[in-house]
Amino acid sequence: MSDVMTPAGSAFEATPARRFTPKPARPAPASTLGLRGWIRQNMFSSAPNALVTLLGLWLVYVFVSAIVSWTLVNAVWEAASRRECLDQVGRGGACWPGVVAWIPNLIYGLYPKDQVWRINLAALVLVAWAIPLWLPRVRSKLAIGLSLVLLFPFFASYMFLGGEKGPVWSALIALGLAAFFWVMATSAAEIATGRSFGRLVVVALGAAGRSDAYRRRLHVAALLVLYVAALAVTASLSLSFVQTRLWGGLFLTVVISGFGIAFSLPAGIVLALGRRSRMPLISLLSTTFIELFRSVPLITILFMFNTMLPLFLPAGVEVNQLVRAIVAVCLFASAYMAEIIRGGLQAIPRGQYEAASAMGLGFWQATGLVIMPQALKIMIPNIVGNFIGLFKDTTLVSIVGLFDLLSMARAVGEDTRWLGLFLEPFFFITMIYFVVCFSMSQYSLNLENRLSAGQRR
Amino acid sequence: MTAPAAATPPPIELIGLNKWFGSFHVLKDIDLRVREGERIVVCGPSGSGKSTLIRCINQLEKNQEGTVRIHGRAYGASARENDAIRRDIGMVFQSFNLFPHLTVLENCTFALTWVKQTPKREAEALAMEFLTRVRIPEQARKFPLQLSGGQQQRVAIARALCVRPRIMLFDEPTSSLDPEMINEVLDTMVELAQSGMTMVVVSHEMGFARKVADRVIFMDQGEIVEEAAPEAFFTAPQFDRTRLFLNQILHG
Amino acid sequence: MALMDSTATPGAPARYAAFFNNATVRSVFYQVLTLACVVGLIGYLVANTIENMSQRGMSAGFDFLGVSAGFGIGFALVPYQEGDSYWRVFVVGIANTMLVAVVGIVLATLLGLVVGLARLSSNWVISNVARWYIEILRNTPLLLQIIAWYFGVFTLLPRPRDSLGWFGGFFLNNRGLYMPAPVPGDGFALTLLAVAAGLVGAVLFARRAQAIREATGRIVPTAAPVLGLALGLPLAVFFVTGAPLGWDNPQLRGFNFVGGLNIPPSFCALIIALSIYTSCFIAEIVRAGVQSVSHGQTEAARALGVPPGRTMRSIILPQALRVIIPPLISQYLNLTKNSSLAIAIGFPDLVSVWMHTSLNQSGRAIPIVAMTMGFYCLVSLAVSLLMNQYNRRILIKER
Repeated sequence: MSDVMTPAGSAFEATPARRFTPKPARPAPASTLGLRGWIRQNMFSSAPNALVTLLGLWLVYVFVSAIVSWTLVNAVWEAASRRECLDQVGRGGACWPGVVAWIPNLIYGLYPKDQVWRINLAALVLVAWAIPLWLPRVRSKLAIGLSLVLLFPFFASYMFLGGEKGPVWSALIALGLAAFFWVMATSAAEIATGRSFGRLVVVALGAAGRSDAYRRRLHVAALLVLYVAALAVTASLSLSFVQTRLWGGLFLTVVISGFGIAFSLPAGIVLALGRRSRMPLISLLSTTFIELFRSVPLITILFMFNTMLPLFLPAGVEVNQLVRAIVAVCLFASAYMAEIIRGGLQAIPRGQYEAASAMGLGFWQATGLVIMPQALKIMIPNIVGNFIGLFKDTTLVSIVGLFDLLSMARAVGEDTRWLGLFLEPFFFITMIYFVVCFSMSQYSLNLENRLSAGQRR
Repeated sequence: MTAPAAATPPPIELIGLNKWFGSFHVLKDIDLRVREGERIVVCGPSGSGKSTLIRCINQLEKNQEGTVRIHGRAYGASARENDAIRRDIGMVFQSFNLFPHLTVLENCTFALTWVKQTPKREAEALAMEFLTRVRIPEQARKFPLQLSGGQQQRVAIARALCVRPRIMLFDEPTSSLDPEMINEVLDTMVELAQSGMTMVVVSHEMGFARKVADRVIFMDQGEIVEEAAPEAFFTAPQFDRTRLFLNQILHG
Repeated sequence: MALMDSTATPGAPARYAAFFNNATVRSVFYQVLTLACVVGLIGYLVANTIENMSQRGMSAGFDFLGVSAGFGIGFALVPYQEGDSYWRVFVVGIANTMLVAVVGIVLATLLGLVVGLARLSSNWVISNVARWYIEILRNTPLLLQIIAWYFGVFTLLPRPRDSLGWFGGFFLNNRGLYMPAPVPGDGFALTLLAVAAGLVGAVLFARRAQAIREATGRIVPTAAPVLGLALGLPLAVFFVTGAPLGWDNPQLRGFNFVGGLNIPPSFCALIIALSIYTSCFIAEIVRAGVQSVSHGQTEAARALGVPPGRTMRSIILPQALRVIIPPLISQYLNLTKNSSLAIAIGFPDLVSVWMHTSLNQSGRAIPIVAMTMGFYCLVSLAVSLLMNQYNRRILIKER
């Protein structure tokens, strides 16, 4: 190719250059620009297209106007019974008083009214615990997230259940509480000063210049103080016992899916690693478990645990229905999670494994530090998708006799005052499910776009 | 040079072409006339509109203003007519765009059997002839993704030639190839040029331009800045913009 | 773990460490450990179960299958009477589940295809209508949808006396959908024969058309002749033989309808909810499949002058289908599994009549749970074997 190269660039300069001045850009023809152009191109580009557009708009109009007139325009807001509603508008409008009267039950089930503050408080703690995960200045996110999944359940369980607490149970509850104190302290410290709680304690005590061992001891002592404080709070707490039979509504739905989510991620990781293991027996066992639970409907697993769990356990051991349902949901969710994580592991190029072992990392270090974080990251959308599925699937516990949100909504129509009132509570809980699931899916979509943007170049 | 107006219409004639992507003006008042058997190389910085220009020639992109005439026939009457005009134009893409689920041979015969209604045996014979011309007849039964990039691009050239076009368009045919494969594709294109085909090539292969082009066109910001025979273009470009560009690609 | 990984300990422990670091030894050790745990757990559970069962006087055998079940089933695809055996109940349950699955799959596919293509439309209104249809329906629980259709729509329908009626033969009321039942007359066999002949003829014609195309290049239009053979021929025979098909119209007698076909409200609600819910997922699969075929493919075909219809059929569809079919089949499996939610509205599918009613009646928990799960496992296994075959066949050959 070099034979055709021009002589040096200086040859060009022999003659004076003409200046190239680009023509000014003209605006595009009006018919393709602005709102009108956009509407024309996207909705009325041809006769059939225009027809389809009109048909679509008509459909939307019919649907939306029917919903609006039923839920708002023709709806009844004040009535003492369904009879009164029907007398006012018949079936042409929604009868909201029934739903309003049932809202406490829809949210808390049959939980004693004077104890509901416990659920609210635990929910508040949960939110406060999770908020630092989204704050950019907080750096201990991993510890906060892990403690949330592993330790919050102890605290929450006591808040919900109450009753007698032995020494071990007290210690665990206090652990949850101490973790919460630590999360609050460290996120406040990191936001305010950029230092973690432990560092801040060290600095505050004027020990910044002392030896490492001393500082570490000081750090541990600070954590101990937190724990002792938590123990004291726990000991002073004395909550009355609330049977799980009384749990219900949105609260129960969240509890079951919360357990499912918290359990399925670690269990799914173990199962996925087991299935990919080179040890034939472990691989076989994991594969059997995964495929068995994935090939049968969740309802059969719920039934199985409902009828079989009492048989499996020693005579005299009673397992309440909620625990049976939670066990079934957890195992079911982990089988699905395992396949998602396995998909993520398969997508990691071999080079990553080779690089990790070339660095001298053992199997567990390579997996834990290099492979798994990447696999989880690329699978975030699917993992969130699985959570959404789990949240929707918890409705199935209503079939085995638990009072989740769906059963509570059905119960409205069986209340003698609101007999036959089905559509309104269904509409209400549909909104709840939709808002939760849709926002989760939009969030994961958002995350997916950000991740893929990070991967591009 | 000035042919009488009554003579056979030119293969490609662009008059007052304007094109916008949204509100961005990509092609500004382009006028271009390509003579029978003429070989044109279009070059320019990325985003200068050169790809859009040749995609307007076979109307893969629609221009909002101006006329495109192929052998005197203007686009726009109906989709069927547009397809008929397109059949005179072969196109080779930067990313090959071979059909991955069909064999190399089926890729070549596809348009013959479905558009030109050629009997299967005849179509295959013709396809083999063109595969031989691009020197890969032995790959006919393989699938595109089993071939190297250079081989794939040569299949793409054979596929385009099979429908016997009178004009060939090349949209950066060597840009996505490894350096050692560029020449095998360029050689094929040189042979094609020598056979007298009317060609419009978007490319930065200046060696190729020197060797076969009748005219080199330099584009920037949606307009034709300068057009000249290769000798004049490379040794005495008129515009500062052209000089800058040539300096960058020849000495960069 | 730390013990296993410590390699550099000097002296006698080093030998142990080396022994443990031998990959084979370690692998065998872990596996034996796991096996011991699993066997121990299973043994514990089995021992408990045996004791519990003997205490409650339960039996794990399959001998109850021949015993009369003694309950009625509201809807049965295969003939069933009260007093038939448990085995019969199992068969009825499977047949009903399969019926729901097949009807649901057909409807969900059609609906999903339409919505998916609408989602791909360049028309902003249509693609957004499709988008919100998908978003709303797939983000609400299926069980809620089933129950809402059942309690919110079908049980609120008027009584049989005030039925909604169409064309004098179709009636919708709170007992379900009533429609005319076909009663084949004497010569109807001929029409059936014509259907078979028409189908065979259509296939032969399509083959002939391809042969002609390959030999002469001429493209023989096939759509009209094939439709004519497959539909027109049977219709012609039907009318020539004097339309030998009677219709048994449902008649209102007293408080209810007599005659005709009755589709119970639970079946209607289940099918509608299942197919609408699944159609959302299918629509997304269709969209992803079509979008997976790069735009360059369409452009290459257009540059060759291939008309759009042919491009769709021979270039886009074959490539999109490779992406579509595997997740589509898994949606079909999901639909089949989800049909078990029938129990919430009392439709007698396998889980409802077998795992629920029969289990409560007979108390044979273990065989019944095993048979139910066995059925679903078998279906999944069969489908995944077929899928593996298919995936191997369509693999695009690459280097």
